[in-house]
Amino acid sequence: MKRRWIRRGVGAMLLAAVLAGCAGQAARESGEKDPPVRQEAVQEEKTLVFGDTTFNAENGESDINPHHDSGGWACIRYGVGETLFRFTDQMEIEPWLAESYERVDERTWRITLKEGISFTSGRIMDAEAVKECLEALVEANARAAGNLRLETVTAEGLTLTIGTKVPVPALLNDLADPYGCIYDVQAGVTEDGIVQGTGPYRAVALTTDTSLELVKNEQYWNGEPKIDRITVRTITDGDTLTVALQSGEIDVAYGMPYISYPLFENDRYTFTGCSTSRVIFGAMNFESAIMQDPAVRKAVSMGIDKEGFVETLLGGNGTPAAGPFPDTVSFGGDAVRAPAYDPEKAMQVLEEAGWTDTDGDGIREKDGTPLTIRWLTYPSRQEQPFLAEAAQAMLKTIGIRVEIQNTANHNQVRTDRSAWDIYVSTFVAAPTGDPEYFFAYHCLDRSGSNDGRYHSDRLESLAEEMEGTFDTDRRAELAQQMQQIILDDSAYIFFAHLRMNMISASNVTGLTAHPCDYYEITADLDIRE
Amino acid sequence: MRGTDIRKRLLLLIPMVLGITFLSFALMHLAGSDAVLQKAESSGIALSQEVLEAQRAELGLDQPFILQYLNWLGRFLTGDMGTSYVSGKDVWSTFLSKLPATLLLTGTSLLLTAGIAIPLGILSAVKQNRFTDGLIRVCSFVGNSLPNFFVALLLMYLLSIQMPVFPVIARGIGWRSAALPTLTLAIAMSAKYLRQVRAAVLEERNRDYVAGERARGIRFGVTLRKSVLRSCMVTLLTLMSLSAGSLLGGTAIVEAIFMWDGVGKLAVDAMEMRDYPMIQAYVVWMALIYALINLITDVLYHVLDPRIRLEGERS
Repeated sequence: MKRRWIRRGVGAMLLAAVLAGCAGQAARESGEKDPPVRQEAVQEEKTLVFGDTTFNAENGESDINPHHDSGGWACIRYGVGETLFRFTDQMEIEPWLAESYERVDERTWRITLKEGISFTSGRIMDAEAVKECLEALVEANARAAGNLRLETVTAEGLTLTIGTKVPVPALLNDLADPYGCIYDVQAGVTEDGIVQGTGPYRAVALTTDTSLELVKNEQYWNGEPKIDRITVRTITDGDTLTVALQSGEIDVAYGMPYISYPLFENDRYTFTGCSTSRVIFGAMNFESAIMQDPAVRKAVSMGIDKEGFVETLLGGNGTPAAGPFPDTVSFGGDAVRAPAYDPEKAMQVLEEAGWTDTDGDGIREKDGTPLTIRWLTYPSRQEQPFLAEAAQAMLKTIGIRVEIQNTANHNQVRTDRSAWDIYVSTFVAAPTGDPEYFFAYHCLDRSGSNDGRYHSDRLESLAEEMEGTFDTDRRAELAQQMQQIILDDSAYIFFAHLRMNMISASNVTGLTAHPCDYYEITADLDIRE
Repeated sequence: MRGTDIRKRLLLLIPMVLGITFLSFALMHLAGSDAVLQKAESSGIALSQEVLEAQRAELGLDQPFILQYLNWLGRFLTGDMGTSYVSGKDVWSTFLSKLPATLLLTGTSLLLTAGIAIPLGILSAVKQNRFTDGLIRVCSFVGNSLPNFFVALLLMYLLSIQMPVFPVIARGIGWRSAALPTLTLAIAMSAKYLRQVRAAVLEERNRDYVAGERARGIRFGVTLRKSVLRSCMVTLLTLMSLSAGSLLGGTAIVEAIFMWDGVGKLAVDAMEMRDYPMIQAYVVWMALIYALINLITDVLYHVLDPRIRLEGERS
């Protein structure tokens, strides 16, 4: 009996040893580090871990190939790629890889490149390399092809000449879009989706939905990058991101839930943030009988307290919006006037239009029809369902009943215009700092996302003028007028521009939020030991 | 169970997989939207109608539903699981790359669950209605009541922030990274199982053969080890095989919280993004897993319980 127990004991120990060996092997194979928290860097290398909720395939960022989906966002954000032009803090265009530019005629642009820039592959970045990249871009990316409308690209030394099929006034802005990151096409794209750009960091390993490993680009043309190795970690869960920053496993967090902010509002962490052009807005349905009544649209616009929404539900992490564009651009912010929050006046407007509460149930009626609007929205943007409930409560006080349809299937529902009255969504209104994009996608007869079938003759004519206008001041004036038209028609309500914040440990320096949300890891980024 | 029975069960897998894949394909289409729209929405960038249509045509989403299914089936029968609509990467290799993490987490959490639930369940039964029993039952009640995500956050707070022993985010597949997800899963599962073990042991304990052995002077410890536990094995096996099936399908919430790179999160993301080829790969995997685990469990029933074996032979 005793011997049998000894045998069993030895067997159990052997099994434990084998399992431990397997685990150790698996750990070695997968590169798991031994200590529970981040190890001290070997040979005093400076390292930084950047936690990001958005670096994943779901967001179109399965890799950093700028020509693939939204890979350009990852390419530019993490300091691998750079574009010919970039945005200033006021969202104005300035040369980046380009030295200067000249508009030869309405369809021809001559761009001179900076000298002495090379890709991380070692190849010199000249006009021929840029030409190859732009040609590959329009071949692979339908959105870029539709925006740039390239006809010819010729290269000579450092001079690039671009000919477009039609006049493209916003060409330079479009070249500053993340898809315009210039990389060495001859070096190609690895199986993992890594490209060789000109940025301060070189990507060495990428696992979709998991991580991106970067090393310093020793040959960087615009200053010396300060950190030797950077790991970008995909962390999709907001609570995990919170705990990871608290435990010191990451040094920088992008996409932190607003609710976690108080945990970091102390001297151990630093916030950097700014307003972006990501706007929560509602489109009125002009095919709905109730919404065709201008009084109803106006009353809805005046009946929702945007400041209260921003302060209370967004916790101050946004800016009440008047129009589609934030105050970081010259034609945004207070450049336009939206109906102010005024429930008394909203009720008066409804009274005058014949909407009265005849049966005393608190909801107005007209010709026997109760004033009920159907509010379509979706849950993937966590602020939107809260906004819907707040609007429901606020509009009830002026006699409007709101029925909320909060569904992930909104893309199908919104195509059925008999199913909703107002569709609330979130949209990046000026990703390239140019106003044309918003109107082209949402407000015109030809717009693919004009969900409410809004039409204005005046708007159409101004849009046509904008399409052929190169002068940026005139474009800004047109943008202002066009915004005012849609606001005066109460065709859209703009609720808030969302604020983008990054939180870092206090020993991280050189991290600055930018209104376009494109530039995060730069040569200035540093970490003190 | 004879060899012919096993062969029959394996052959049944063919119509079952076909039926399940058709159903899941149909359900995903009924859910509305598609990968092109979902991706555009996630990135917040608007695409023109022409670009959307071009992308749909590229993925074959402009074709009728039945044609899309037949195209997928044709490729599947030749061993090609297709390309992900979202990442553009090969479905089979992506799926395979996630499996080791899922297999490891399944193995560790089942082992830990058995390690906690069996001894505590037996102890609770042996000490029935005493303080130890009460304490174990209260712990089991609390463990059952706590949702996984809450346990995960508690463990992170205690073992990653207050006492930095384990990492919050998984770094590859290894025992340190697996520790917190394993604990999270095992706490909930063992809380449930120890009650089942307790009930099974109590039931066996009241049988005549236990009283008979005691009358013959055999110590209860010996009876417990040699007879009672063996009789309880069928119950335990049923519970464990059900859990193995669901764990092999991944645990999306735990995987997402700990950034554990397994198939559960992959499947949930694929469903959200309407990534049909990836969903189909997951559905095939789940169908095979459940069918095989049920088969193995049935075989083990015959081995462990002579009553089932003899019943089968008589019939």
